[in-house]
Amino acid sequence: MILVRLMRIVQITVLMLGCAASAAAQGRGAASPASVRPAPAATPQGYSQEQIATGRVRFAAQCGFCHGRDAAGGEGGADLTRSALVGVDVRGDKIGPLIRSGRPDKGMPAFTLSDSDVTAIVAFIHEQREQAASATGNRRTVDASDLQTGNADAGRRYFGTACARCHSPAGDLKGVATRYEGLPLLQRMLYPGSGGRSAGPAPKPPAVRVTLRDGQVISGTLAYRDEFTISLTDANGWRRSWPTSQVTYTVDDRLQAHVEQLAKYTDGDMHDVLAYLQTLR
Amino acid sequence: MCWRTCRRFAEAGLRACNYVFLLIALPAAAQSVDPASLLKPPADSWLTYHGDYSGRHHSPLRQITTDNVGQLALSWAFQTGQTQQIKATPIVASGVVYLTTPDNIWAIDARNGRQLWRYAYPANDGFHIGHRGAAVYKDLVYLTTPDAHLIALDARDGSVKWDVVIADAKKGYWSTNAPLLIRNHLIVGVSGDFDNLPGILRSFDPETGKAQWTFNSTPAPDTLGSIAGGATGGQMWMTGTYDPDLNLLFVGTGNPTPVLNGEVRPGDNRWTCSIVALNPDTGTLAWGFQASPHDTHDWDASEVPVLVDAEFGGAPRKLLLQASRNGYYFVLDRTTGKNLLTTPFAATNWASGVDEAGRPQPNRAKEPARDGRLVAPDESGGTNYRSPSFDPATGLLLVSAHDAYGIYFFKNEHGKYGWAGADYTVYGHGVLRALDYRTGQAKWSHDLQGGAGAAGVLTTATGVTFTGDSASSAMALRTSDGTTLWHAGIGRVGNSPITYELDGRQYVLIGGGSVLYAFALP
Repeated sequence: MILVRLMRIVQITVLMLGCAASAAAQGRGAASPASVRPAPAATPQGYSQEQIATGRVRFAAQCGFCHGRDAAGGEGGADLTRSALVGVDVRGDKIGPLIRSGRPDKGMPAFTLSDSDVTAIVAFIHEQREQAASATGNRRTVDASDLQTGNADAGRRYFGTACARCHSPAGDLKGVATRYEGLPLLQRMLYPGSGGRSAGPAPKPPAVRVTLRDGQVISGTLAYRDEFTISLTDANGWRRSWPTSQVTYTVDDRLQAHVEQLAKYTDGDMHDVLAYLQTLR
Repeated sequence: MCWRTCRRFAEAGLRACNYVFLLIALPAAAQSVDPASLLKPPADSWLTYHGDYSGRHHSPLRQITTDNVGQLALSWAFQTGQTQQIKATPIVASGVVYLTTPDNIWAIDARNGRQLWRYAYPANDGFHIGHRGAAVYKDLVYLTTPDAHLIALDARDGSVKWDVVIADAKKGYWSTNAPLLIRNHLIVGVSGDFDNLPGILRSFDPETGKAQWTFNSTPAPDTLGSIAGGATGGQMWMTGTYDPDLNLLFVGTGNPTPVLNGEVRPGDNRWTCSIVALNPDTGTLAWGFQASPHDTHDWDASEVPVLVDAEFGGAPRKLLLQASRNGYYFVLDRTTGKNLLTTPFAATNWASGVDEAGRPQPNRAKEPARDGRLVAPDESGGTNYRSPSFDPATGLLLVSAHDAYGIYFFKNEHGKYGWAGADYTVYGHGVLRALDYRTGQAKWSHDLQGGAGAAGVLTTATGVTFTGDSASSAMALRTSDGTTLWHAGIGRVGNSPITYELDGRQYVLIGGGSVLYAFALP
């Protein structure tokens, strides 16, 4: 056991040195340890068992409901053992700020916790990630191989009638299966953005045209919208807002077609289209 | 003018002999809450989670109207100083607002928002996911805790009177519950979805904390003669409603466990995802109605069972209305539990039909599977804990609905403990729907501008509806048609608005983020 741990430390050290060397070779200057990215699957963090044990308790109390007591996903929250952000976190440099600021747009509150509690939570998440990577079975995971029940030919035909108005296998979807696979591809197919960061970049915000009372038209991308406010980012990068009662506006929300499709898919259709998209390499 | 002058004189005089008055004229009884007052709550209070026993979340107050609500202005704001969003319904008694978050309760002056006292429960390991609210009885205030304790506090200063265990937190129980007081019974529920635990609802003596009875919605595992088919769960984490004439307590029960793996718990899994009617003196079951037989999607039927006395099918009846998390609206005769109507109020695709008892029948093809099934609604449901409101004048049940889709997975490797599966929300959109209670059809809908709303709904006798959208505003709508009459960008509303009248002024309390706002006419 100790030997295994030692070997892992040695491996990690080699990895870190390797990264630092290649970073230096690429002319990015002398890399400080903090700027060195570990291999995503490694846990180079070196936390004590006490920190991990404290983190287990704090995590359960503060995070466990949404993310699961084992961090592998609970009610509403992501499986952190498969999170892209956790994969690139170094000693809490990504997770820590996220815990403190939350993701209010996704329903995650900001947390007021001591530094030691945040560190313990980060330690626990990394420990769970490491364990999950070596675990067999019994995890609440979805593997790409689980999703292979569709018929690509049937999917191509369905695509032709339902999706081809906006998408093209030779255009925007060219090589999509080389960029995404498994659950992230399915989530992206059903509603882009629904899988969070692990399902790739968020879709571009829709285009907005706001017409002011004097007839002036201002275009940009949607920044915010509710019943009372319309807000866009203009071509120069400035945020501009108006009361919806004082302007007229149009939003080119192309994702609405995905919403309408959700009510039409059978499970067979869904798996067929996924099978077809997987052929676009 | 004259009145004010008079008052100034009177106040000066009063101040002089204040202590004498307090000692002589204001014994404990003047401040203390008489349990009988819950049968007819006074206008200056909001005595229980639902405001009264009916769960209608409706107020008879008339000062704020559709004509003047546009002038509503901030009277005070109370900063909890926490990052946790306020999810609790405030309780108001004797001029004091009681507000809770996990581990915390504040007593706040209902006239100006000043803190009177705060009690913080010691750090503990229970889930800190949210808190529904407090309860009051005589000179005591009750707080449930993340590690499933029930604490009685002195309403005067927040000192602990007693502390009892509701359920074993080490096994995975926790509590967010706002207890319900019925005479000398304090009825308290717990949560516990992540472990295979029997569903329990308990009653305690409100004076002493002595346990009175426990109702099991599901039995302990391996109980002989179980009707649950091997299922555990069915936790009663929401506050019930009560009909004093029938002496029946109505509570919604949670989903079965394991949650997504239905294979190891065949059959209907009674009494999970059900509305149960209990005798509050004994905890014995009078009847049960199952909203989701054999649930595999986390759709507990914990939503408020709203009690309405109204005409149905040509005759006056004692009704129970529920807009349930599974996307279906139910009307029951609450005397017998007989189903009168079952109809969807939000996007659903999981049922193959409705049986003769009025229960939607699950389509097995929509149960979680290895390759994933696209299901409406998603895990968070067609609605959730946020309070609906029934407006007697229009016969409308206002529900914060959610049209949503999720993908549900289960394979044997996911096991048979706790969640036992995986599910992912694909898309959801929040809409406030005003359902005709007789048909369940929406008379109007109001877009909530985003995903599932977190705000509950309050209606008043003047035809005003208070709620919040999914973006960042508190709103007042006209109850008859859903038109927006007022709004304030106070941040996302996470609780259910309430109202009370003090010193001739009607206040509306709404939580935005971690701040509690009190609005009134200027």
